[in-house]
Amino acid sequence: MGMLNQFTTPLYKKLIAEFENSGEDTIGSLSVIRKDAFEHFRAKGFPTTKDEDWKFTNLTPFLADDFSLHPADPKEEDVRILVNNALIPDLDAYCLIILNGKLQLGLSVLPDSHEMTVHSLKDISEQPVFSQYVNLNAENKQSMVALNTALFEDGYYLQVHKGITLDKPVQVIHIYTALENVLFQPRNLVIVEPDAKAELIETMVVQKHTGLLFVNSVSHAVVRENAQLVQYKIQDNDSDERILQYHHVTQERSSRYDNFTFCLPGADLIRNNLDVVLDGTSTETHLLGLYLVGEHQLTDNHTAIHHKYPHCESNEIYKGVLLDNGKAVFNGKVFVEREAQKTNAFQQNNNLLLSGKAQVFAKPQLEIFADDVKCSHGCTVGQFDPESLFYLRSRGISEDSSRKLLIEAFMFDVTQKIENGPLKAYVQALIYGKMENSFSSIA
Amino acid sequence: MLSIKNLHANIEGKEILKGINLEVNAGEVHAIMGPNGSGKSSLASVLAGRENYEVTEGEVWLDDKNLLDMKPEERAREGVFLAFQYPVEIPGVSNINFLRTALSEIRTHRNLPALSAKEFLKLTKEKQQLVEFEAKLANRSLNQGFSGGEKKRNEVFQLAMLEPKLSILDETDSGLDIDALRIVSNGINKLRSADNAFVLITHYQRLLEYIVPDFVHVLYNGQIVRSGTKELALELEEKGYDWLKELQGSESINK
Repeated sequence: MGMLNQFTTPLYKKLIAEFENSGEDTIGSLSVIRKDAFEHFRAKGFPTTKDEDWKFTNLTPFLADDFSLHPADPKEEDVRILVNNALIPDLDAYCLIILNGKLQLGLSVLPDSHEMTVHSLKDISEQPVFSQYVNLNAENKQSMVALNTALFEDGYYLQVHKGITLDKPVQVIHIYTALENVLFQPRNLVIVEPDAKAELIETMVVQKHTGLLFVNSVSHAVVRENAQLVQYKIQDNDSDERILQYHHVTQERSSRYDNFTFCLPGADLIRNNLDVVLDGTSTETHLLGLYLVGEHQLTDNHTAIHHKYPHCESNEIYKGVLLDNGKAVFNGKVFVEREAQKTNAFQQNNNLLLSGKAQVFAKPQLEIFADDVKCSHGCTVGQFDPESLFYLRSRGISEDSSRKLLIEAFMFDVTQKIENGPLKAYVQALIYGKMENSFSSIA
Repeated sequence: MLSIKNLHANIEGKEILKGINLEVNAGEVHAIMGPNGSGKSSLASVLAGRENYEVTEGEVWLDDKNLLDMKPEERAREGVFLAFQYPVEIPGVSNINFLRTALSEIRTHRNLPALSAKEFLKLTKEKQQLVEFEAKLANRSLNQGFSGGEKKRNEVFQLAMLEPKLSILDETDSGLDIDALRIVSNGINKLRSADNAFVLITHYQRLLEYIVPDFVHVLYNGQIVRSGTKELALELEEKGYDWLKELQGSESINK
């Protein structure tokens, strides 16, 4: 029997057939980009561990199954129930509903259209922003991005208008149904116009399923001059769910971008790529991440910050807690180009290994070509400090509660930065709820 | 209350405690003095249940309970409190959350009703006043940003909150200036009662001017080589510890 490789899987063949049968009915201005992307994917195939960026994350077993590309949408009443369950308690927010990658304006509650507009991505295919940002550019010529570019069906386009500060955050609820094995490839674009401010909270909910869910999502956020965007991604998934997210951010002059990524234990595979390109001077960027990985899960966070102009500041803290046979990968790239003088770039990655069988592969990667910069990075992998544990226990606090307090303390640098009270409470409850379930297995 | 019989303990295979005998009754204050390396802090650690010590022989009873069978948290709930020589800073664990958790687990164990948030805050305020510990606790991490003296005072404050039977103070006086020493001592004196007992581990006689002990023991090379009343501390202050070497090997002299 021959080796199964990425070119012979049923999925690869199906994807090739899908594109070849799609004919000329694709979005007009996109067809050239799609063809180009498709050729790129066809030549490269799925990533393998021979690719430096996928060295520790072997995608092949996650792609060996057969997946449907055109599943049926669920009934509307089911969707309403899913939406209700997905709303964050006590959070005063707008909500944007995306069902199997497609925009559901009827179910969404959005700000006034002079403040913010939302369209299906297809609807703006003739606008310049579309060809500018929905493409396969030099920075993201990864085969999974190429695959998404070649075959994405739709997604949302969200635009916050010039000078507008949204009075409430927008919770973007991605609903997926997987009654059979399904692959979704959504594509989204967010633009925050000059001097505007917005906060987006992205969550995902999956209809109880018997099949596997594979999401290969690509999104782009553009933060225009002097604008501010805060994005939260809460990845609270279950087993049989495999999530790939490629998120690209472009920051223009004097903008600020904050990203919070919370990967909770559950999904078989989470792979996040977060690429931030600083396309102007005097920007500020904060990337904060928490990943909790248990059982036989694999969570991989690849981040990259591209400093191209002077006087920009980036600050990154990613923290991981590893349980059971969990495996985590962290790769943090910081590029400082020759022109990017007076850059301040700070990166920190800490990992708490709570099981002898858990693994973490951490790689800070700083490439600095400017000479007048302040850059630092720190990376640790460790266990509980025994003296702290003893101190807490010596005050009558049980070993379990002491560990919980110490895990809470470990994550504090990240969780304390969530300014929205109900959101913070929600995230903390998710973390502790998940940790509670995993505690019996802590050695 | 506390009964230590022929206690031997090792750390990393090396014998540190070599047959300690000590009886502490309710209402008493005992001071344990001795030179560096004599085993004073090791005794405190073994009593509190620090896990890197291995007890090889002997017994320790707290009233009718075998202390050595218990986990550190069980000892604390039964009423043992160790004031640390080097209190730990734990960024991210709030002082208040820590105290609330500790107090609630101890009260549950003692079959006392849970305190409401209001009662807890009231108690915190009272005890802070009692031990003259003014440091702001709310919205601060455990011991973080505290000076050495504040950390020691926080230990005494925790002691006041948790109301143990037996308090072991491991060099609580070290690193305190004279004013802080007086404040800490005043606090401890206020907490003394007929129902609790204190074991003060100290290097210097200075502390004992403020907290007058009922008994003084001299620990040397893992054994109590001499016991007496508070006058023994003065004698030690005068003569130093060198003369102890002569006592090594001979029978320890009990009170």
